[in-house]
Amino acid sequence: MSDRECGVIRETLPDLIGGRLAGADATRVSAHLEACPDCREEAELLRLLHATRPVVPAGLARRIEGATRAGRRRASHRWWGLAAASVAAVALGIGVVSRETPSLDEADPPGIVAGAEEARLWVADDGLVAGAPALEGLTDEDLLMLLEEMGAETTGGAA
Amino acid sequence: MSQWTYPDPVSDEALVRRARDGEEAALSALVKRHTDAVYRVALAIGGDPDLAQDVSQDAFVKAFRGLGGFRGDASFRTWLLTIAANAARGALRRQGRRREMDLDSAPPLASEARGPDQDAELSAEAARAREALLRLPEKQRLSIQLRVDEGLSFREIAEVIGSTEGAARVNYFHGIRKLREWME
Repeated sequence: MSDRECGVIRETLPDLIGGRLAGADATRVSAHLEACPDCREEAELLRLLHATRPVVPAGLARRIEGATRAGRRRASHRWWGLAAASVAAVALGIGVVSRETPSLDEADPPGIVAGAEEARLWVADDGLVAGAPALEGLTDEDLLMLLEEMGAETTGGAA
Repeated sequence: MSQWTYPDPVSDEALVRRARDGEEAALSALVKRHTDAVYRVALAIGGDPDLAQDVSQDAFVKAFRGLGGFRGDASFRTWLLTIAANAARGALRRQGRRREMDLDSAPPLASEARGPDQDAELSAEAARAREALLRLPEKQRLSIQLRVDEGLSFREIAEVIGSTEGAARVNYFHGIRKLREWME
C-alpha cells in the first residue's frame, strides 16, 4: 500500500465509521482495509471512539426549546415596550417643544429651551424632538422605566 | 406546542429561512437536529456535563437571537458549533478554572457497539480511548471529535476551532497518531 493511498483512505475513515460513505466509495475503503493492517488498526480506534461518544442527557433538546421560546417572548415584549417608550417620548418631546419654545424675541442660547432644565429634557439639534438625545445609550429596561415615569408625570400634570 | 416535525431532507438553510419568518416548528427542528453536536462540543471544551448543558442552551439562544445576522457564509451547523465553542470557552473563563475532568466525573458513553459478550472488554478499551483523548491538546481533541463524532469536514473544523483547513488536518492526524501510540 502506498503512503499516498493510505493517506486518502484515512481522510475518509471517519465518514465510513459514521455511515456517511456509500456506494463505490464505501466499497473502495472497505477493500483497502481488508488489505492494509495499519489502516485497519486506525479504523478500529475510530470505531471505538465513535461508538463511545458521550451520551446527550435526556430532555436537553426539550429544555433548549423551552429556553429559546421564552427568550423570543421576552425579546418580543421588549420590542413592544421599546416602541411604546419611543412613541411616548417623541410625543411628549413635541409637547414640550410646542409649550416651551420661546418666541424669537426671547430666545435662549441654542440647544436649551426655556424651562427645559426643570423638565430635564434637552432639545434635539433640529429643534423638533426634545428628549431624543437623552434616549441614546439607554437600555430597553431604562426606556421602559422612563416610559413609566413619563406616564406618572403626565398623569400628575393632568390632575 | 406544535408536534409537527420536518422530514430529514429539509435542509438547514430552508429551516433557517422559515425560522426567520417566525415559524416555531422550524426552530424546534433545528434544535432537535443539532442539540447532540452542540452538547458534545460544549463538553469537549468545558469537560463538565452540567456546564455543557447550560452552554448548549446558551448557544441556541444566542444563535436564534442572531439569526437575522446569519449571512450563510458558513453552514448553519458550523456557525452554531462555533457559537457553542465560544460560549464554552467563555463559561470556562467566567468560572476561572481550567478544564479538568477525570474518569470518575466523565459523562456516560454511548454503547451502540456493545454486545453482551463484548461489554466489559469494550468498556475497558473505551475508557482507555476516551482517557487518551482527554490528554490531547484542545485543538487536536476537538479536531478528532468534530471529525469522528460529528462528521465535519476539515474546512468546517477549521471554522469552529479558529484555524486554517491545513492546520485542522494536521491537528487531527497528530492527535490520531498520539492516540494510537498511547493505545498500543
